[in-house]
Amino acid sequence: MTIEIPKEKYTGAVREVTLGATADEGGTRAHTLTIGGESTLPYLQFEGTIPNRPALALEIRDRKPDDWSPLLLQAWGEAMDDPGEWAKAAEAAGADLIYMVLSLTDADGEPNTPEYARAAVRKVLDATSLPMAVVGPGQAEIDNELIVPVAEEAEGERLLLGICEEKNYRTIVAAALAHNHLVQSKTPMDVNLSKQLVILIHDMGLPLERIVMDPTTGALGYGIEYGYSVMERLRLAALGGDQMTQQPMLVNPGEEAWRVKEAKVGEGVPENWGDWERRALDWEAVTAIALVHSGANMLVLRHPETLRRVRSVLDDLLGSQS
Amino acid sequence: MALTGLEIYKLLPQTNCKDCGYPTCLAFAMKLAAKQAALKDCPHVSEEAAAKLESASAPPITLVELKGDDGAVKVGNETVLFRHEKTFYHKPGLFWRLRDTEDGDELKRAAAEADAYHVDYVGIDLYLDGFAVEAASSDPATFNAAISAVKSVSKKPLILIAPSGDLAKAGIEAAAGSRPLLHAANGENWEEMAEVAKEAGVPLAVQAEDLDGLAELTQKLKEAGVEELVLDPGVTSYRDSLEQLTSIRRLALKQTFRPLGFPVITFPGANSEVDETLLAAEQIAKYGGLIVLEEFNPASLYALLVLRQNIYTDPQKPIQVQPGIYEINSPDENAPLMATTNFSITYFSIANEVEGSGWPGWLLVTDAEGMSVLTAWAAGKFDAERIAKDAKTFDVEGKVSHRKLIIPGHVAVLSGELEEEMPGWEIMVGPREAVDINSYLKAMWSN
Amino acid sequence: MSRYIATRAIRGANAIVHEADLMLQRAMEEKGPDTPVAFPNTAYYLPFILGMTGREVSKIGELPPVLEHAKSLLHPVPPDARWTPYLGETLDSGMATLFAEEIIMALKFVYGLQPEPMPGLELAGSTSFTSPDNGGGPSADGHLNGPIDDIQLRSWGIQLVDGRMPGFAAIVGCAKSNEVAVKIVRELQRRNILTFLIGNVNGRSIIHQLVEEGVELGYDTYTVPFGTDTISAIYPLGFATRSALTFGGMKGGQARDILLYNKNRVFAFVLALGEVDDLKYATAAGAINFGFPVIADTIIPEILPTGVTDYEHVISMPFNEIEGADDLERAERLVQKCIEVRGVKVQITEVPVPVPYGSAFEGEVVRRADMQVEFGGKNSRAYEYLRMVDLDEIEDGKIELIGSDFDTVEEGGYMDMGILVEVAGRKMEKDFEPVLERQIHYFINGASGVQHIGQRDIAWIRISKGAAEKGFNLKHFGDILYARFHGDFGTIVDKVQVKIFTEPEVYAEWLEKARAAYDERNVRIGTMTDESVDQFYSCTLCQSFAPDHVCIISPERLGLCGAYNWLDCKASFQINPTGPNQPIIKGDISDQDKGYFSGVNEYAVSASHGSVNEVAVYSIMENPMTACGCFECIAMLIPEANGIMIVSREDTSMTPAGMTFSTLAGVAGGGLQTPGVMGHGKFYITSPKFISADGGFKRVVWLSSILKEQMADQLKEVAEREGDPDLIDKIADETVCTDVEGLLKHLQEKGHPALEMEPMM
Repeated sequence: MTIEIPKEKYTGAVREVTLGATADEGGTRAHTLTIGGESTLPYLQFEGTIPNRPALALEIRDRKPDDWSPLLLQAWGEAMDDPGEWAKAAEAAGADLIYMVLSLTDADGEPNTPEYARAAVRKVLDATSLPMAVVGPGQAEIDNELIVPVAEEAEGERLLLGICEEKNYRTIVAAALAHNHLVQSKTPMDVNLSKQLVILIHDMGLPLERIVMDPTTGALGYGIEYGYSVMERLRLAALGGDQMTQQPMLVNPGEEAWRVKEAKVGEGVPENWGDWERRALDWEAVTAIALVHSGANMLVLRHPETLRRVRSVLDDLLGSQS
Repeated sequence: MALTGLEIYKLLPQTNCKDCGYPTCLAFAMKLAAKQAALKDCPHVSEEAAAKLESASAPPITLVELKGDDGAVKVGNETVLFRHEKTFYHKPGLFWRLRDTEDGDELKRAAAEADAYHVDYVGIDLYLDGFAVEAASSDPATFNAAISAVKSVSKKPLILIAPSGDLAKAGIEAAAGSRPLLHAANGENWEEMAEVAKEAGVPLAVQAEDLDGLAELTQKLKEAGVEELVLDPGVTSYRDSLEQLTSIRRLALKQTFRPLGFPVITFPGANSEVDETLLAAEQIAKYGGLIVLEEFNPASLYALLVLRQNIYTDPQKPIQVQPGIYEINSPDENAPLMATTNFSITYFSIANEVEGSGWPGWLLVTDAEGMSVLTAWAAGKFDAERIAKDAKTFDVEGKVSHRKLIIPGHVAVLSGELEEEMPGWEIMVGPREAVDINSYLKAMWSN
Repeated sequence: MSRYIATRAIRGANAIVHEADLMLQRAMEEKGPDTPVAFPNTAYYLPFILGMTGREVSKIGELPPVLEHAKSLLHPVPPDARWTPYLGETLDSGMATLFAEEIIMALKFVYGLQPEPMPGLELAGSTSFTSPDNGGGPSADGHLNGPIDDIQLRSWGIQLVDGRMPGFAAIVGCAKSNEVAVKIVRELQRRNILTFLIGNVNGRSIIHQLVEEGVELGYDTYTVPFGTDTISAIYPLGFATRSALTFGGMKGGQARDILLYNKNRVFAFVLALGEVDDLKYATAAGAINFGFPVIADTIIPEILPTGVTDYEHVISMPFNEIEGADDLERAERLVQKCIEVRGVKVQITEVPVPVPYGSAFEGEVVRRADMQVEFGGKNSRAYEYLRMVDLDEIEDGKIELIGSDFDTVEEGGYMDMGILVEVAGRKMEKDFEPVLERQIHYFINGASGVQHIGQRDIAWIRISKGAAEKGFNLKHFGDILYARFHGDFGTIVDKVQVKIFTEPEVYAEWLEKARAAYDERNVRIGTMTDESVDQFYSCTLCQSFAPDHVCIISPERLGLCGAYNWLDCKASFQINPTGPNQPIIKGDISDQDKGYFSGVNEYAVSASHGSVNEVAVYSIMENPMTACGCFECIAMLIPEANGIMIVSREDTSMTPAGMTFSTLAGVAGGGLQTPGVMGHGKFYITSPKFISADGGFKRVVWLSSILKEQMADQLKEVAEREGDPDLIDKIADETVCTDVEGLLKHLQEKGHPALEMEPMM
């Protein structure tokens, strides 16, 4: 008996999106980074092509964060004191791109400034040649105030700028239009909202080739099942030919996992939670793996060890490549 | 094309006898149509009708049940490829592999430790499902002794890894009184294994090089009278696992290919090149059935158990958290008191924000039948009366000395009513989104 | 198209192209073809030329082909005898004019004549002219702005694109007086509209007027003086061209795309003050190519039909004929008109009332003891009425109180009051009146210390003592409504005017009118049929938890949650065109009785992601509509009774189906098509289209008693419509029976028609 493996015939594919620009393209990056393009469900190479592997980003900040787990502080050490050094360390740890989050305040609690943000981004651009994403601290007004000058500072570098949300996307999109960057379009775990924001951003004149979709996922144990299914549905819709769901998907298991108790807290937790470091790392890695299998095209991680582990999974799923 | 409930109804006796456990024939028919009931539950259905209902009568993936002296694991009976299409019904069983070459006392110690492992996840008790005991010694007596040792400290279901009739028999004897899975029949030993399994009435795993081999073997075993089978495709890597398990699931569901219509067993730690936790995680998401772990590590197991719980949550029946009053950041009697619903995501987002903000706080989680704030409000499950009642039930007055209750901004409309329901309380209207809690408390909470 | 305008624009174009020609010839001789030409601080060469032709002009020698191109766009002045058509010629002339103007300005830079000197003028932020390429022109001190540099273009561009700046105005000429000039600019600044100043009338420019009045000009005040001659109009149009290149991702040479981009996305207009000469007509014709309309404060022929611009092309609003108490009021109206003509949307972010305002106060209760005054309720009456009027009929932002305020009644007292909201908008429709009117409840409730209940003529409003102490008065209702209607419904509402009536006669007069309107609306929605429209609406609001469910909402079938009817969806689509309510063209009707429409089926397949192939809009037995879980009622077939039962969400009792509402909900919901079961809104029961394919309302054999009570009147009408006035009585409910046996007994006793109807299965 010879069994024929049932293959699906899809009419659509994920759109390819390219970040970063080399000197020839008006930037200063050593190479560009393309994600998306697959014409099948995650890693089912027997029925479709997967031209680009998911990108693994490491998150850094414009200054040493106040609230990160001691485990992360340990992992990055003194590099965290300087965004340029941190970015170099992230590059050395194997990141495909640097995902920089701007802080809401400086170390003394004073509001972050456009000048500071600009300088921090400049430092990172000078310190590494990787493509880069820069997102605001997550408060509409401040995001806009910081991202616009950053967009100008990095003119032509094709940064991924964020975070565009339904209530605040116009300024960031306008900045991306003015200075030739890309945007991250984030919506709260809902297929239709994801689609709608992509439409709204596209309506402003930003080409679809410059939009990355962040469906929001939740961490393991904290709602990941919603994000997981929303991503599967978005991906099925994309393969089914629904144009506005064909953006590559960015997820942030680093942020999601490291803010939950399981990763953050080492003391005063049940004994059966086991070893803290292992639990924290597993929390981030297992969150990431679930999202890898629901269609993530870019994963933002925090711990270098997680990057190494996820990388080895991807290498097997896609055949190693160097 | 699947039959609709009405079409099935036409073939049923239409007597509303309730012998099937459903109130009417139509209700039963609709459950059948949704593949949530089995035709055999109707004792009165005619043979002719049963034949017509064949496709609706047997689930495409056989349900396999393992029983321990206490507790059971059921796998199989899945009806969809993606959880959002309906739900995944039977969580993969997580087992820990022990070898009979281990010293008896050590086996007992290890099994006892793993047996005692429990973690609480939003009020759900999570634990290891059982043990896979391997006849690594190839000696029936040693194997028998090892199983007895494990059984002496754990009543959980077992998988017996015993690749010959003799070993299998020895294992079955030791496991008497329970219903283990025998692992595994292959091209050489299948006849003897089938005999043991059939005799003992236990499910049998099947091993082969590839899907063709598996399908051939399952047919032979079915003919030999073993109905409850588990497939072991021998996967050892992420890619291999994903491709094989996806193929098996698709064949069973999309083509009703009965020879592969069984749950799957995998050993994610079998290949030392692979990160066991991450491969197990993949298999939980993508079509694993029984997952046998090489390593028992509480931290990793916790992550896997939670992932399994999440993936196998019914998308239409959200996880609820226990209603009650929750403490965050060790609050005292002056800490702010906030009300919300017991939808898990609602609870998590608020608990996370408050925790992250550093504010000590009391969270009054009301019984809103697992709905989010707006949905619950619209459905009348989160109204002034319920909030007031739960405030009383969980004795908020005994927890805080102030009399201020913060309600979600989305239900600002409740504030007036709630003040009437809770005399002496000031109802404060909080932000609509959890992310704004910190700035809200900063601005509005003066203590 | 006015022949007059065409004539003058064509004449103006011919003259300016000729002038450019002479200047260019002279420059070629005096400076030579290799002399560089450029606008300072822009990477877009000569931006208009680049945009329209793709030519990257950097030397004088590259200008002659551009001039030739301009010449090719010229037309002879139309002879007196010819009357049609002129639009094409006029627009061509406009383009020729702009080419000529940019050539002239580029050459003037070569000669150091730009930016235009204005001794003593200090700009509050401007392009710096430190470049040596400037040809040794005037220093940073004492000159007008000249073209906008790229940095400022991006900075303003971001604000124009993200909507913080609604648009820009190019003011050409000279205002009636200095006072009027200042007022116009202030009105524009107040609305965050970028203002560009250009040109003169008889040598006097609005720039002079503003400088004399001490108005600060420059980037920092969003008021940029380009030049006192008409030719500097090329700067704002170059700015518009560069906007499209920068933000629209267009390349030089994509002329059509660049012009369309400006028409669709850049909300700009030209305000011509004072006499309009040939060159101004010609330049205005150029602006119209960008979709920018021209409003003149003098008598000129109008070009009203729309086409190249969104609305009218040229509007004449003679200043002295504008209604208004004085020139200042006239200036205000003029600006308002400009905004309307271009469709610039006003942004209002704050509700200007003396009490805190926000959705957090929506649920507040004002108790009798805390109450200052009440309108409606037991002792008095209050009504609210929103109607649509023509744009010309009302004045945006006008709020009137007709009668006395509540300080005339004692504390804790009451009075009659009516609220009339009049809205106008180019996208407003009569059918949206009730949708908007219902918002009054939410809007007013947002004020702290104000409680609003009810609607129409049963509204009931209380104002607390606290709010009254803070100075809240009746006119503030108007402020709230004005701000919120603009803020939330700006896409369909352009103008809002509010009147509050307490004067008994006016109050009574409008109450009559309001009631007539309520009746008319009732009749309208009551008589709207599915056949009378060619599109239905979808609702995918619930896909977050029922991913494959889509509601099909028609005039005769409201959403199953009961919250959305066809008109709501229509309005929702206008307000949020990418939202959950999308129009569904009915398409081919393959079966009117069962309700099979090709458009509905196509939509259902795609919105349900392939899980639903067909929907019979009027049947429960065959491809019924799916349900999410929000349904008010569930209908289910009772085969034994040859009919259906309907159980309400509020009914927790057992039903003849052997299941309670909550168990049934599991069968009906989740976006699965389950013939024999259907979730629906309660008012659908009374629709003539209620399961009309299966026999309609007569099939109802069991109905939760709460529905019988709540809808007693409507059900009675339905029974009469069905020709069986006692029908409701024949229908069982949970007080009669909760099983099939009891049901059949009841039906037989009462002689329910379903028993005699043809078999459902």
